[in-house]
Amino acid sequence: MVKRYPGRDRPAVEGLSFAVAPGEICVLIGPSGCGKTTALKMVNRLISISDGDITIDGQNVRSLGLTQLRRGIGYVFQQIGLFPHMSVEHNIGSVPRLLGWSKTRIRERASELLELVGLDPVGDLKRYPGEFSGGQQQRIGVARAMAADPQIMLMDEPFGAIDPIARDRLQNDFLRLHRQVRKTVIFVTHDIDEALKMGDKIAIMRDGQLVQLATADELLAAPADEFVARFVGEDRGLKRLRVRSVRDLELDPAVSGDAAVTSLMTDTSLHTALSSMLAEGLTQINVVDEDGRPIGSVRFDAIARLVAPPETAAAAPAAAESSSR
Amino acid sequence: MTVALHLAPAAGGPVIPNFGGASNCVVQNHQFCMSWFTHNFNSVFKPALIQHIELTAIAVGCGMAIAFAAAIFAYKQSWFGTPFSLLSAFLYTIPSLALFELLVQVTGINRFTAEIGLVSYTLLILFRNTLTGLQGVPPAVIEASRAMGYTPRQTLFRVEIPLATPAIMAGVRIATVTTISLATVAAYIGAGGLGKLIFDAIQSGFKTEFVAAGAMAIALAIIADILLVLIQRAITPWSRHRVQTF
Repeated sequence: MVKRYPGRDRPAVEGLSFAVAPGEICVLIGPSGCGKTTALKMVNRLISISDGDITIDGQNVRSLGLTQLRRGIGYVFQQIGLFPHMSVEHNIGSVPRLLGWSKTRIRERASELLELVGLDPVGDLKRYPGEFSGGQQQRIGVARAMAADPQIMLMDEPFGAIDPIARDRLQNDFLRLHRQVRKTVIFVTHDIDEALKMGDKIAIMRDGQLVQLATADELLAAPADEFVARFVGEDRGLKRLRVRSVRDLELDPAVSGDAAVTSLMTDTSLHTALSSMLAEGLTQINVVDEDGRPIGSVRFDAIARLVAPPETAAAAPAAAESSSR
Repeated sequence: MTVALHLAPAAGGPVIPNFGGASNCVVQNHQFCMSWFTHNFNSVFKPALIQHIELTAIAVGCGMAIAFAAAIFAYKQSWFGTPFSLLSAFLYTIPSLALFELLVQVTGINRFTAEIGLVSYTLLILFRNTLTGLQGVPPAVIEASRAMGYTPRQTLFRVEIPLATPAIMAGVRIATVTTISLATVAAYIGAGGLGKLIFDAIQSGFKTEFVAAGAMAIALAIIADILLVLIQRAITPWSRHRVQTF
């Protein structure tokens, strides 16, 4: 499935054009007023498209009926917008009911989704949204958006109004969920850390135009211009470590002794790996498999080399050789 | 003017109606004679009570139908809100006796005339509460329903009206209590009900009938209000839980 967006809406969004591959999370990010939400809402035509086309699987969204289009696209937004007068089951069943599903099928689906988003699949069905915290409500919001199994989900700052700890959990849970269900997601945020964490691809926008479209790693390694560099932050070297994990490195042989005190997994981020080194005063740490058996080790200079620009990387090994203790 | 009201008792003191053998209490016209009340409940009070309930139910029912339709129209077409609000407020300010008197000249002395008057008094509160309730639906909830592919009609009937229900029911409660009280005045133009007994008692000076009919009107208002609260709780079980809106 491919989507193309040459949407054009006054100066709000202009000449915006990109494609999102199936199963990918594409993050739209930029300062407020950059047109990211406008662009998102043009996909399900909450905002009409002035010029240009948006296609889903080759089908122009303008050629579909409004209700038909929207029932096939999950929508999650910051204000959540759960129906306060409906039980959780009915909230989740909103779109399936419009599509004419049977009651039993809706209940089963609601139950299944509650479990998927980490709520009680039985006890929470009959409760009302008002009985839940903001974070739990957004979990229900995500479940509701996925109810009729749409292939596409639009998420407009979905975790923006949720306290930082719950937000972090929601992000992790959503990523885990996404690995299971593989929806195509367009995700709007103004938080660069959220974008780097969530996005397979990140589109940075300014004044209604696309400035750079790249993976988190590319964005941090090679910002297209001064604006992007400032936007991703001064500490982009460190941020890059967050988006890379131990598995991106060629491992050195496992060592014994001090390096064996702490250990890393292959999916540990390099940021955490570096943090462990600094905290333990080590320059080399073992990596273990799921059963805790050492499979190799990570060295400080290997991390530095991965993040460094290519020309520096070539010069680094000589200097780094002696640094392990 | 076709009707004259005689509030003063007939000359020669109170006329005690002779419903069978009058007890001592009745003869001396005490404030309230329980035995006379119970003895005459089925023949005098019960029909009047039923008539009063009918009068009120029809008035609130018709008032609700008109106000509801007007409020939904005003919700969709905002220009309509102010003129209808002004009209219903104007009707509300007309003193009840004056309004009934005016209507009698057009539609005569009957229950229909009384209902027109009663309905016109319910419009203001029912219209305003319904419109306020609809306007109070959180924009996020409406956006969610649009985004999920509800048609405007589905949004109205499945989301907006249900969410306006607490405000609408609050209006119905006030309108019902007000109408029960106003309907006693409507007996002046032949509406019947408990008001007729009150008017009769004022003319005859028979205290028991006056006190009993008045107390029944009050009791009816209280019971109706309690019933409406129970109904509201039953149809809006969610309203006890507040939903965060950002």
